[in-house]
Amino acid sequence: MSAMSELSSISRRKGKITAEEKKANGRDNKAAYIFLLPWLVGLVAITIGPMLMSLYLSFTDYNLLQPPEWTGLENFTRMLTDARLHNSLGVTFTYVFIGVPLQLAVALLIALVLDKGLRGLPFYRSIFYLPSLLGGSVAVAILWKQIFGTTGLVNQVLAMFGIQGPGWISDPSTALGSIILLHVWTFGAPMIIFLAGLRQIPVMYYEAAKVDGASTLQQFWRITLPMLSPIIFFNLVLQIIGSFQSFTQAFIVSGGNGGPSDSTMFFTLYLYQKGFGQFDMGYASAMAWFLLVIIGVFTAINFIASKYWVFYDD
Amino acid sequence: MQLFSRTAPAAKKAAAAPSHGAPRRIRKTALVAAAAAAVMALSACGGGSAPQSADGTVELRFSWWGGDKRAQLTQDAIAKFEAENPKIKIKPEYGDWSGYWDKLATQVAANDAPDIIQMDEKYITEYSSRGALLDLSKYDIDTAKLDEAALNAGKSEDGLTGIAAGINAATILANPKVFEAAGVALPDDATWTWADFERIAAEITEKSPKGTYGAAAYGTDEASLGVWLRQDGKSLYTSDGRLGFEPQDIAQWWAFLKDMSKKKGVPSASEVVEAEAAALDQSGLATGKNGMAFWWSNQAPALEKASGSDLKILRFPTNTGKADDAGLWYKASQFWSASSRTKHPEETAKFINFLANNVKAGESLLADRGVYPNTDVRAAIEPKLTPADVKVVKFIDQIKDELGEAPAPPPKGAGAIQEIIKRYTSEVLFERLSPEDAGKKASDEMKSAISN
Repeated sequence: MSAMSELSSISRRKGKITAEEKKANGRDNKAAYIFLLPWLVGLVAITIGPMLMSLYLSFTDYNLLQPPEWTGLENFTRMLTDARLHNSLGVTFTYVFIGVPLQLAVALLIALVLDKGLRGLPFYRSIFYLPSLLGGSVAVAILWKQIFGTTGLVNQVLAMFGIQGPGWISDPSTALGSIILLHVWTFGAPMIIFLAGLRQIPVMYYEAAKVDGASTLQQFWRITLPMLSPIIFFNLVLQIIGSFQSFTQAFIVSGGNGGPSDSTMFFTLYLYQKGFGQFDMGYASAMAWFLLVIIGVFTAINFIASKYWVFYDD
Repeated sequence: MQLFSRTAPAAKKAAAAPSHGAPRRIRKTALVAAAAAAVMALSACGGGSAPQSADGTVELRFSWWGGDKRAQLTQDAIAKFEAENPKIKIKPEYGDWSGYWDKLATQVAANDAPDIIQMDEKYITEYSSRGALLDLSKYDIDTAKLDEAALNAGKSEDGLTGIAAGINAATILANPKVFEAAGVALPDDATWTWADFERIAAEITEKSPKGTYGAAAYGTDEASLGVWLRQDGKSLYTSDGRLGFEPQDIAQWWAFLKDMSKKKGVPSASEVVEAEAAALDQSGLATGKNGMAFWWSNQAPALEKASGSDLKILRFPTNTGKADDAGLWYKASQFWSASSRTKHPEETAKFINFLANNVKAGESLLADRGVYPNTDVRAAIEPKLTPADVKVVKFIDQIKDELGEAPAPPPKGAGAIQEIIKRYTSEVLFERLSPEDAGKKASDEMKSAISN
């Protein structure tokens, strides 16, 4: 029997669903929906509903205290001339495009070292993963603030060598760098994923390469990186999306105002200030949707570009 | 410099951040909060306040900002009120200044505002002009004994939307220990000028160990700017809700600060930024790192306790050397306001009346929120005041005849002004902008903030 005729016979069979079968299907579906309900209610009430609401609000002037007033595209046109918003975009892009590659590079490096079959690997893995658990937390951001203060640990150490360090997080020229460093420090999550990825690479490739006399560096470039590229891609997408939405660190380190001089004014922080500090929730909603578009565009670019560098083994 | 009662350690600020669990999800969280609030407002299912229960007991929610000391005093006053009015229960909700306004905005939007709200001058117009506050003049609150200026501060075209909880004045607090250690004499605040202030500050820094400065920098909120402008015959706001000064006025203010910074009279730019975030008991004055600092008078007792030093309350310096030109004013430190959507306006008013006029409340609250506006209560509680409180009351009485005209109330949108001042102060101190450019940009931003 040819493939064609087999296909048509399947479709014929499919067409003849009895009433009884239908009923049973319906019952199954109902049960499925009931089991899905807790999630579905959450999705609609906590995610989709508010999202649609915010989409509506983004076209209004809404000050939280009075009902929203429809203003059409005004919020979006205002964004074009809002210098602080442009600055906040600059800050966010700097954070994403320096912080993410740096963090992934560190994560990969540590993963490579750990993959060498160290004794006590689980211990080290946990230790290196720890900052990831803590990094986004408020406590660590506060600790960071102390360490990088004018009289903080970093400057105390520098002082031992006779160097007078700046107030790392209170100086506009170094504040963002300090927050990027905090981000890089939380390399644990991508590191774990890299480690898992490294374990998936068949040893035979390396054995073959060794027989052919490839150096360690060549092995890394020719085997490890290509084989790991789907994992790198996965991490890259996740980290870029996450970093665009970064908020806590900047909020805590700058004391909520994105200072000094707006140097750590992330887009999300500005959004928060507009919405809750200045009662401009319509504008804040418009900003949120703009951020969604930005993230969407960069994720799309990521996926398109991935065709040229991500190598799938199977 | 922190002139408003912000006792928030940075840690607690965090509580306001939607950061638990999903640290980077601000976008979603903010949206959810906003939209949930809106949905609730639309469907009018918000709580407002607890409905009357079967036995006729009414529960009122009362929110304020402030530290532990204030919480204790206030709860003490609540207990006395509840003892007198067994049918009314007061449920306190308190937190730090920094998170307070975000929370209040969301609560009001969600139709879930507390019944009694501790309100600040900066936000009262914001809320009252949008109909969120109750006109208290329609309810049974005795205002006969209240200080007139303080009473007027709570009035607007929307009615009497706030009863002053205390009277304050902008001051410079001096730590005599720092002066002594540096061998510098305390100034005579009745005759000193800004030039004296600058000279003394620089002298203290020079003669003190490294890291100690003569004065904290001003420029982190609007009060010190307000005084400066008033001394020049200008004002922060006009009575019709616009800016009462020109860009060059604020530029001069920053130029003077920059000059002081160059002479090391005030801490370095980085240290100034860090000081902004410090809680009251971690401030330069409290830790003995500043000889002088700008604070509201009601904060003196708390600072005295934190610094362990017998602080001296000084008038602002002037250009002329005459205290009459200091341009100080009595500020309502904060207001008792009520939500316009409260389900129990009578009971709410009764409680506010108790706080404002009852000696028993006064005996609990003392001078924590400033000097009592009710003159009878002020006299009755005098024996109970601590020495630090007495000092504050004395200062307030002392400047009575030197006061300038009461300033125009901050217009709608004034809540954003402080942040603008702070930001440009650091632009100037880090020399990223000249005082002139900062003046222009800052006034432009302020104009658009209050014109919305």
